[in-house]
Amino acid sequence: MTVVTADSPLHDPLRFHRKTPPCAVVIFGANGDLTKRKLMPALYRLAYEGRLAPGFAVIGISRTAMSNDDFRGHMHDSVAKFLEDSPFDEELWRSFAQGLFYLPGDVNDPVLYKQIAESLESIGKDHETGGNVLFYLSTQPSQYAGIAERLGEAGLAKGSGWRRIIIEKPFGHDLASAQDLNTRLQAHFAEEQIYRIDHYLGKETVQNIMAFRFGNGIFEPLWNRRYIEHVQITAAESIGVEGRGAYYQEAGALRDMIQNHLLQVMATVAMEPTATFSSNAVRDERSKLLRSVRILKPEEVEANAVAGQYGPGRVGGQQAVGFRQEPGVSPDSITNTYAAVTFLVENWRWAGVPFYIRTGKYLPKRVSEIAIHFRSAPLSVFRNSEDPGENVPNLLILRIQPEEGISLKFVSKRPGAGMTLRPVSMDFNYGASFGERSPSAYETLLLDAIIGDATLYTRQDMVEASWRAVQPILDCWSAKQFAFPNYAAGTWGPPEADAMLARRGHTWRTP
Amino acid sequence: METAQAIRPDDILKELSAYWTHLGAGDSDQAQGADNQGENGGLLRACSMTLICFADDEEEANLNETLASLMREHPSRLIVVRLRDGDDELAARVSSQCWMPFGHHKQICCEQVEVTASINRLADAASIVAPLAAPDLPRVIVLRSARIVRAGALRKILRLGDKIIVDSSRPGAPGFGELGGLLDAGHITGDLAWTRLTPIRALLAQLLESRKPAVIVIEYVGREAGPESRYLQAWLQTALPDAFISLRGHGGSGPDDCGSGAGKPTVVRVDKDLVIRLCPGGAEYDAGNMRQRASMPPGTEEQLLNEELGIVVHDRVFERALNHITA
Repeated sequence: MTVVTADSPLHDPLRFHRKTPPCAVVIFGANGDLTKRKLMPALYRLAYEGRLAPGFAVIGISRTAMSNDDFRGHMHDSVAKFLEDSPFDEELWRSFAQGLFYLPGDVNDPVLYKQIAESLESIGKDHETGGNVLFYLSTQPSQYAGIAERLGEAGLAKGSGWRRIIIEKPFGHDLASAQDLNTRLQAHFAEEQIYRIDHYLGKETVQNIMAFRFGNGIFEPLWNRRYIEHVQITAAESIGVEGRGAYYQEAGALRDMIQNHLLQVMATVAMEPTATFSSNAVRDERSKLLRSVRILKPEEVEANAVAGQYGPGRVGGQQAVGFRQEPGVSPDSITNTYAAVTFLVENWRWAGVPFYIRTGKYLPKRVSEIAIHFRSAPLSVFRNSEDPGENVPNLLILRIQPEEGISLKFVSKRPGAGMTLRPVSMDFNYGASFGERSPSAYETLLLDAIIGDATLYTRQDMVEASWRAVQPILDCWSAKQFAFPNYAAGTWGPPEADAMLARRGHTWRTP
Repeated sequence: METAQAIRPDDILKELSAYWTHLGAGDSDQAQGADNQGENGGLLRACSMTLICFADDEEEANLNETLASLMREHPSRLIVVRLRDGDDELAARVSSQCWMPFGHHKQICCEQVEVTASINRLADAASIVAPLAAPDLPRVIVLRSARIVRAGALRKILRLGDKIIVDSSRPGAPGFGELGGLLDAGHITGDLAWTRLTPIRALLAQLLESRKPAVIVIEYVGREAGPESRYLQAWLQTALPDAFISLRGHGGSGPDDCGSGAGKPTVVRVDKDLVIRLCPGGAEYDAGNMRQRASMPPGTEEQLLNEELGIVVHDRVFERALNHITA
């Protein structure tokens, strides 16, 4: 559905979406998987919903020699294949494809940037894009800084309209490299031009955490150390590295998931309420929370962080190979495919409340959720009851995937004579209340970048704060000899992770 | 339950309760008490509103299908009141609709009460429906019964809902005068003839945003402008009071007509330089040097109702347009 600004006399706030300005999107790495599977289907879907301005254009860039028509043909096939929950409309594609262009070239070659400038000039006139350009760096992370520098040197970081640049995680591989990347980016692009994408924040259910916390009056008074015993954040995958062994070997679970996605989720769960829902107000609070995370001392790492690597195991009735047997992985790799960390937040709201975060490959099921464990009732009124149900603490589960929704666990009297209690669940299920299609994270985030809303993008201070939180762990692990593998594929991780919680009298929830 | 003449809402509610107990039997025994309750099997009783549909008994067979489809986006306690001529008749039965969302492990179920009544028992039917509404949730009436309109009994059902949805382009539907009366009485009202215009209005809003049009002509096929054309004209006129907005019909198909249907808008001409052709499935216009196409899949009744069910507050833009027509 098309959109207009709020002050237009033709605006219909109940039925129209936000306005998107005309623009061109320049995608570096246009022949890559991300472009084919995520970016182009998301852009097409936005076109399908009429969310893009007339004349919207894309310039794809990669090394592969291709004509515009070849590129359109490839993108047609990709969109038709990877479009989710939507029909593919050939007529609309023909109109959309008129705005697709391709430039082959080496991103290290300054000539390419002259060609980009010429193309943008020509497309700007033909498509009336107003000089607005969004650069999307869907390339190897090692190329981010170089591309940004060459864009700047070619004068493309500024223009007659707005200029923005999106980069994908990882934003560096440690604190120092993140700071270096930022210095090089900011030499040419101002911070407000830089959009660091974390697709986890684009997920509807992650955004719903804010709606849940700040749109309801009844939960926030309980949202603190007085009522919450601890928090568990789980992002489990039921598959292995699936051919990405070479990449994953360099990253590992801590870098790949916890440093970015899960610390951002934790920040969303734990941040203070904002006065407004403006981009910087929300990001200020997230950043403040991340800066409040206690930095572990080297001697504290062992007790508060557990690394794991899966070995062979039985998954779904089939034999799964261990990580070291995966293609492209060194047979003596010490990469962590599982990581669990206890974070503490040093502020008045959360002092003493552990936030347990775990993520891993080849765990028993694919599930992402946040479990808020409330303190038990202060007095056991039903202490004569023989039912263990009475000691079950209240749990609030924010389910990110699958079965997106929210559950509250509490105890209830079992029907019949006597006072026996049993835990029950009160469920809100997204699908049961909103059958409508949820936009993909990339649709949401691309639209936000075009509109200029950076709320769901991470800011440099957030990136640095989260690197600071994990850096001592990375340092310790890089010097440690692990006895890997230490968990079998298809299990919930190494026993040390259970011991980490047991030290505080807690156990991992089985999702 | 099939009873004649007298029906107690309490009995229907009891029957609904028993129905759910029966449906949940077995599932709950294995799920309750477990920490992963509900993630492996079981069913979910879903209800985000009460949807009350008044339809004539001979209503086309696809009504149930349309209403069933709505449950996926707006899970509701669905109450269908089928009205017929003739005998002194009143009956009710309960049922449910369940589906398994793709990739999920749990069925979602909605409940349905179907009331059959002769038109002379409409007041009784309404008194049964009122207590059946789910508490604290919006109550929306979809009026598809020409019998109610013919009998002048619209007001008898209005108190049952927070919003009433009609389709003024259907034969036997309330006209603009009656709709205006509903607005005057303060009722939240929706008209699917207006809803059909949303993609067209959205496109026009975008194309006209940076211009101040002086003259806009809305063309339609046929001798009489249908409700959609009239709404479109009224919307543009109320939004752009300084512009001259007119309707122009032509007897046969014009050169730009692509089969929109009698009375419906087919072309919008803005001053002398912008022509927007409205066709089923999409619109075409020129932007810069490019011929542009905007996808506008023809809204099925289910899609239109989905949009309207998502709005349970006064729609001021619609109300301004309707007031303009009835003034």
